[in-house]
Amino acid sequence: MKNISYLFLAVLFAFTSCDKEDETPAQMNVKITFDNTLNGNPLELNQEIFTLPSGESFMVKKFKYYISNVILTDSETNTQYIETDSYHLMGQDFNSSIELGMIPSANYDQITFSIGVDEVANSRTDQTGDLDPNNDMAWNWNSGYKFVVLEGEFIHESTQERTGLVFHIGNNQNYATVTLPLSGLAAGKPASISLETAIDELFSNPNTLVPSNLASTTVMGGPVADQIGQNYADGFIKAN
Amino acid sequence: MKKQALILLLSISWTWACEDQGQQEILAENDPELFVPSISKSLNVGSFPQPDRNPMSKEGVLLGKKLFFDTNLSSNGKVSCASCHQPQLAFTDAVPLADHGVTGIELDRHAPALFNLAWNTTGLFWDGGAHDLESLNFGPLTHPNEMGADLTAILTYLNQQKEYLDLFENAFPATPIQSATMSRAIAQYTRTLISQTSRYDLWMNGEIGFNSIELKGYEIYQANCSSCHEEGLFTDLSYHNNGLDESYPDPIDKEGVFLGRFRISHDSSDLGAYKTPSLRNITLTTPYMHDGRFASLEEVLNHYSSGIKQNSSLAPQLKDGIPLNKEEKEALITFLKTLQDDQFIQKHLQDNPDLP
Ligand code: HEC
Ligand code: HEC
Repeated sequence: MKNISYLFLAVLFAFTSCDKEDETPAQMNVKITFDNTLNGNPLELNQEIFTLPSGESFMVKKFKYYISNVILTDSETNTQYIETDSYHLMGQDFNSSIELGMIPSANYDQITFSIGVDEVANSRTDQTGDLDPNNDMAWNWNSGYKFVVLEGEFIHESTQERTGLVFHIGNNQNYATVTLPLSGLAAGKPASISLETAIDELFSNPNTLVPSNLASTTVMGGPVADQIGQNYADGFIKAN
Repeated sequence: MKKQALILLLSISWTWACEDQGQQEILAENDPELFVPSISKSLNVGSFPQPDRNPMSKEGVLLGKKLFFDTNLSSNGKVSCASCHQPQLAFTDAVPLADHGVTGIELDRHAPALFNLAWNTTGLFWDGGAHDLESLNFGPLTHPNEMGADLTAILTYLNQQKEYLDLFENAFPATPIQSATMSRAIAQYTRTLISQTSRYDLWMNGEIGFNSIELKGYEIYQANCSSCHEEGLFTDLSYHNNGLDESYPDPIDKEGVFLGRFRISHDSSDLGAYKTPSLRNITLTTPYMHDGRFASLEEVLNHYSSGIKQNSSLAPQLKDGIPLNKEEKEALITFLKTLQDDQFIQKHLQDNPDLP
């Protein structure tokens, strides 16, 4: 990993040294960062300080998700940068940024990406990199990947007991593509795009979920999983 | 100054790495040789399907066989694929529900026989949840009650064994040992489990004759069983509810495992439907059905003749059962015995080095 960033530096150095001062460099270094939040507060694992939109007290133990097929668009010139082999496993206390590296310069004003992995990549699990089944995101009995994993404990309204909550959301119908406007990116200038996830959005909008009312607090498919899929398709990831 | 040297060094090693890759592609003679098994007409399948991303080589199969029988892949060092898929039993384990995984906890389903898997392109496992053999292998490897393995620990183990390093290098030249290549090798091996040399096959190929009871049994099979246990592979590779139960429990912690194909398709006509098992080697693979509930072929035939449970997802051809008298049942079982493939078993015993 360190080697790669040195390499980066090397490439960067090479470019800056060859280009004339006043010309826009042909390439720019872009990275995307993700900050995870819950009800507006920065997420911390294993802390009993969070509440869900339903008011239930909630502690997050694990939060991971796939971001895939990243595209940057300059809508004025209709230029697009399409990342190839674009599969990124993100998570709290895990990867928090995607390095696109040196990409063709443009005034990118839109980012498109998907939550989950596309149907082709989701049809098999003998893959490498972020799709390596070692990452504990591949399903055992139904070939494919978990797109969003949230595990934690909430205080059950009626029993007042700590109750496990497990969301393993996948399946092709829950592959969601998001496009967000970008501001402040200028051709040739290194850029860091900061995005934010909001865990509370998994529980609301359009479908309101109250864990205390769920028939099963382990959700790995079926109608509740699809409701969560609809919830994360919109508003779960925003520009920060 | 120091920094520049570092950069120089890095760019040199970078270009070197690039060239190295290019060379690999030119040195194609070093690549393992494609291995294509010959296929008997009596399988009724045309040719052998080579998956694009995992073409079968002799080297890959040898590696896969070693992995299949290696108990060190499991978390306690005691369970291999062959613990539940034993060659002398046509790769089953003779118990209804295995309790010989790493935890000793009983599984929810019966271990199926393994052969002619290369043609299983409509899904694997009883409910078809696994898309292909390459993806399936991670199931038993990591299932807590099967091999309970941590895939990263397996890679560490494989990388420490000189023999494995060589086998991997031969099968997948210039590729690091990864979960993907390990699983591909196992899949190459399990695809070589081809049963096509039973007495039935010899008969079909005109090499032997059947006696009159065998012939009568064959006709009974054709009339009553072949719509699902289709001749050739003796399965239509499709999913049916063959009337074992009226209703299906769905306990919360079991992820729908008792619902059959419905668990995967969420289609109510698939409730209680399972993949039609092959009837090849059926004499070796007791007990029967997805939960191993029947101990003998007699029990199976009694089920079909008088035990069918009616519900809305029942396969239509079984609505009235398959009534057979004693003599017909005996003839049918005599025919089913001709599907036992001893040559296949001999070939794949663990100590038989004759591979592929
Ligand atoms: C502890 C017992 C156990 C072990 C160990 C085990 N299996 Fe299985 N195997 C099963 C059971 C049970 C099933 C059926 C599961 C289901 O359908 O839900 C099965 C199903 C399969 C199938 C699907 C066959 C079909 O027709 O759909 C294949 C292939 C397979 N196993 C290969 C393997 C391989 C390869 C290994 C080693 C990496 C292995 N098994 C280890 C018990 C085991
Ligand atoms: C409607 C399709 C259908 C028909 C017709 C049918 N079967 Fe089956 N058979 C199945 C299915 C599906 C299973 C697996 C069911 C399960 O495990 O839940 C099965 C299982 C079996 C098994 C157990 C195999 C094993 O490995 O566990 C045997 C033996 C068998 N059938 C024999 C027969 C015979 C003999 C006939 C004709 C008299 C017949 N079947 C007719 C669909 C059918």
